[in-house]
Amino acid sequence: MDIIVCVKRVPETSESDVKIDPSGVCIVQEGLVFNINEADNYALEEALLIKEKQGGTVTLVTMGAKASDDTLRMGLAKGADTAIRLDDPAFAGSDGIVTARILASAIKGLTFDLILTGCIASDDWASVVGPALAEMLGIPHATMVTKAELKDGSAQVSRELEGGLLEVLDMKLPAVLTIQTGINEPRYASIMGIAKASKKEIALKGLGDLGLEEDQVGKKGSKTTIEKLTLPVQEKMAELIPGAPEEAAEKLSGILKERGLV
Amino acid sequence: MAVEGAVLCKDLDLYNCIQCGKCTGGCPVSIRSSLNPRRLIYEALMGERFNPIERTEIWECTTCATCAERCPKNVRPYEVVLELRSNVIESGRVKPAVRDALESTFMHGNPWGRVREKRSEWMGDLKVTILKEGDKTDLLYFVCCTAAYDPRIQELAKSMVTVLDKTGVDFAVLGNAESCCANEMNELGEKGLFEMAQENNRELFDKYRFPSMMTTSPHCFHAFKNEYSDITFDIMHYTQFLSRMIEDDKLTFKGAIAKKVTYHDPCFLGKQNKIFDEPRHILQSIPGVEYLEMDRSRERSLCCEGGGGRMWMESESTEERLAEIRVKDAVAMGADVLATACPFCLLTLEDAVKTTGNEEKIQVRDIVELLVEVV
Amino acid sequence: MKDVFALVEHRQGEILDVTYEILSGGVELASKLGGQLTAVLLGSDVGSFTDQLKSRAHRIVVVEDDKLKNFNSEAYQQVLSALIEDHKPYVTLIPQSGFGVDLAPSLAVELDYPLTTDCYEIDAKDGVLSSFRQIYGGKVNAQISFVDAPGYILTVRAASFAVEEPGLTAEIVNVDSPLTEEIAYRKFVDYVEAAVGEVDITQANIVVGIGRGIKEQENLTVVEELAKAIGGVLACSRPVVDAGWLPKERQVGASGKTIKPKLYIAVGISGAFQHVAGMKGADTIVAINKDCNAPIFGEADYGIVGDLFKVVPALSEKLKELKG
Repeated sequence: MDIIVCVKRVPETSESDVKIDPSGVCIVQEGLVFNINEADNYALEEALLIKEKQGGTVTLVTMGAKASDDTLRMGLAKGADTAIRLDDPAFAGSDGIVTARILASAIKGLTFDLILTGCIASDDWASVVGPALAEMLGIPHATMVTKAELKDGSAQVSRELEGGLLEVLDMKLPAVLTIQTGINEPRYASIMGIAKASKKEIALKGLGDLGLEEDQVGKKGSKTTIEKLTLPVQEKMAELIPGAPEEAAEKLSGILKERGLV
Repeated sequence: MAVEGAVLCKDLDLYNCIQCGKCTGGCPVSIRSSLNPRRLIYEALMGERFNPIERTEIWECTTCATCAERCPKNVRPYEVVLELRSNVIESGRVKPAVRDALESTFMHGNPWGRVREKRSEWMGDLKVTILKEGDKTDLLYFVCCTAAYDPRIQELAKSMVTVLDKTGVDFAVLGNAESCCANEMNELGEKGLFEMAQENNRELFDKYRFPSMMTTSPHCFHAFKNEYSDITFDIMHYTQFLSRMIEDDKLTFKGAIAKKVTYHDPCFLGKQNKIFDEPRHILQSIPGVEYLEMDRSRERSLCCEGGGGRMWMESESTEERLAEIRVKDAVAMGADVLATACPFCLLTLEDAVKTTGNEEKIQVRDIVELLVEVV
Repeated sequence: MKDVFALVEHRQGEILDVTYEILSGGVELASKLGGQLTAVLLGSDVGSFTDQLKSRAHRIVVVEDDKLKNFNSEAYQQVLSALIEDHKPYVTLIPQSGFGVDLAPSLAVELDYPLTTDCYEIDAKDGVLSSFRQIYGGKVNAQISFVDAPGYILTVRAASFAVEEPGLTAEIVNVDSPLTEEIAYRKFVDYVEAAVGEVDITQANIVVGIGRGIKEQENLTVVEELAKAIGGVLACSRPVVDAGWLPKERQVGASGKTIKPKLYIAVGISGAFQHVAGMKGADTIVAINKDCNAPIFGEADYGIVGDLFKVVPALSEKLKELKG
């Protein structure tokens, strides 16, 4: 089975303080640590597991600047076979649909049975690329996949809906599946492994290589733009109980008792 | 990925082994797991092929190095464990907690999954000098990731700077620039990560001017002293420095601790680096302390199972934990306080006090926590 | 006329709550645009749903087809794009749900319409559309603007719009299904309910939720103690389930369970939207987190900013003392 995995390099922001750049349309990157998007990491692991079970190849594709090579090398170290990075100054400001367009232009010339990517990116939380990519390639898709059983030419997938409900589907391949976190346990890529993977060539493709025009990509090609970023204002705020842990705990248990909750 | 026994024999000089079994006999975890250093070497000598992923017992090892300590032929059996671990690391099939600790060390410079920008939060309101590039200090205090981020061990770091202030020494810390010594990553078998950390740290240290460094943790001390090459500064564990301060009357006592105190020798301070006397000197200098010596002390100290990457791994064994045996021994001898000088020992022993139900009977304290009460 | 379409989401014979939310939002948006709201109802044998919808839209377009019996983004997309081509609504609203996520992007590509997802607010000043969504785990709000286009696709976050009863009388229009064949390349097989497991957290009066702040599986005992001391059950946010520390049935959130206990204590939970969606209905919410900026404090009634490994054991102690 030949699998393409679309990955994205994103900043880790869950514990960091996020600040808005003076431009007002992006965040300050200095001090942030970057890594592969969590859901993409699960997609990558799923692809590697399928390759181990059924044979075949895994090709990584990313749209990103040079630093994204780190992400690709990590994927190669884990067992992916080839990697392609799509980069061009014209790509700056691409929204989700344009990103899908750029990925599609790179992928349409490749042979593949399956495309996997994360169901959501932890930076933009958009969940656009997967289904948009499928539509552009003219293949079916399924999102939020928590299980995929693959046979020749077909797959039975489980999709996660609200409340823990799962939807089971039969799909024909090739297809795009966007992968939900928790589907597997991603492996580790050692430092020496990543160093060895640096010897593998990463194919670099720009605007011309992909046969795209400037007005199809980047800010020019995007139908949506980030107009302004703001920090959310906490309208409602909890009554904060002050004091050292023991004190605060005592006050809180008093409050809970008063309200008849304990 | 298999590992050939013959290659191990050659690389690790295992042919000297006479199969006397002193290694397994002294291995603390062999009493509660299937880890058998002698057997591992036997298999290598017989030219067998190892399948490291199946050898789950290799993760029980705490790299306390008792086996190497006891070997009459200067073989280092635990290196076989490390080689097998390396093999598993390279395959990527490590337990999620280990994976997370390794990835965190690479990305954030600490194994605890915390961001670098919060590494100095432990200071709170304390005034601590943070060195800037090019700055000079007499003593660099290397705090340790666990002391920087673990709430319990942050108490040690706070006590340490309070005590250092009292000695009058000119000292400073690296603040958020401080990064993991990666000793545990080395013990887990991630050689590449350890090399990278070593390189980065050497480059980092070169940016400042300090003749001496003192560490909270014996693990950091061990890494800088024994595993790092080209270290240009004098490296001490804090017990060595503070013991000297007491000797030189730079620390005087104005209080007393009227308690029975015993001491657990951390493997990385004692067994591996032969620092036994200084911690005892400090404890025995504290007024009011009735010092009790454990039976298994010094080289025979019973490993707490905190080293060798064990802070990120659950043992497979259901037998009594060594830390629990240690706590029970300390309680049985009538000690009020079980003192130690290592963050990992502190955490595992404190856990054991809770799991054995001895919270009313004994307290676990780092030596610096006792000191800070009386200086 | 700038009209609005809103897709009705229903499953297993029931209209989902989010539908009523987007209908309310749709009516408001349509009024700002000077147009009307059409509810789009696709399915098989769904005619009776119009009773519940007719006061909430100006028009209901109903397309019934056996091939639309169970949600299938391929089938829904074909029908919806045909309807949109015919009626040319200015905005089409779709819930950002398991269904919506699967449908909206490919629909937008087929129509070549601008798309933005997971909006919590939509505005139309002087007929110009703009929308608001969250990024970076809810730490930043983004205002999105669009190029001129004949139509727009927006997916809407659950609980963004309050449910209003506008008291309209919808015109019901039945449209023939344009679907000609069964969709062979994507077939619905079944729904699988979440396992109930040994504990049904939706039935508990007191729930203690644990999140990523717990750091390691071993540390669960600290919170288990609290749950025991307070007489509650242990639940968690998604990362804890992903890590395999607690089973899926304990997950509170958009893709887990929705709970409405008398008391919910969120320990080491940042308060990302997906989790909050599952617990905001609790009567009293208490949050314990070391980050004073954690969004959870905006949802909670009471909060303690502190280290959970100190606060939780202390709280367990005090509660045990209270119980005597």
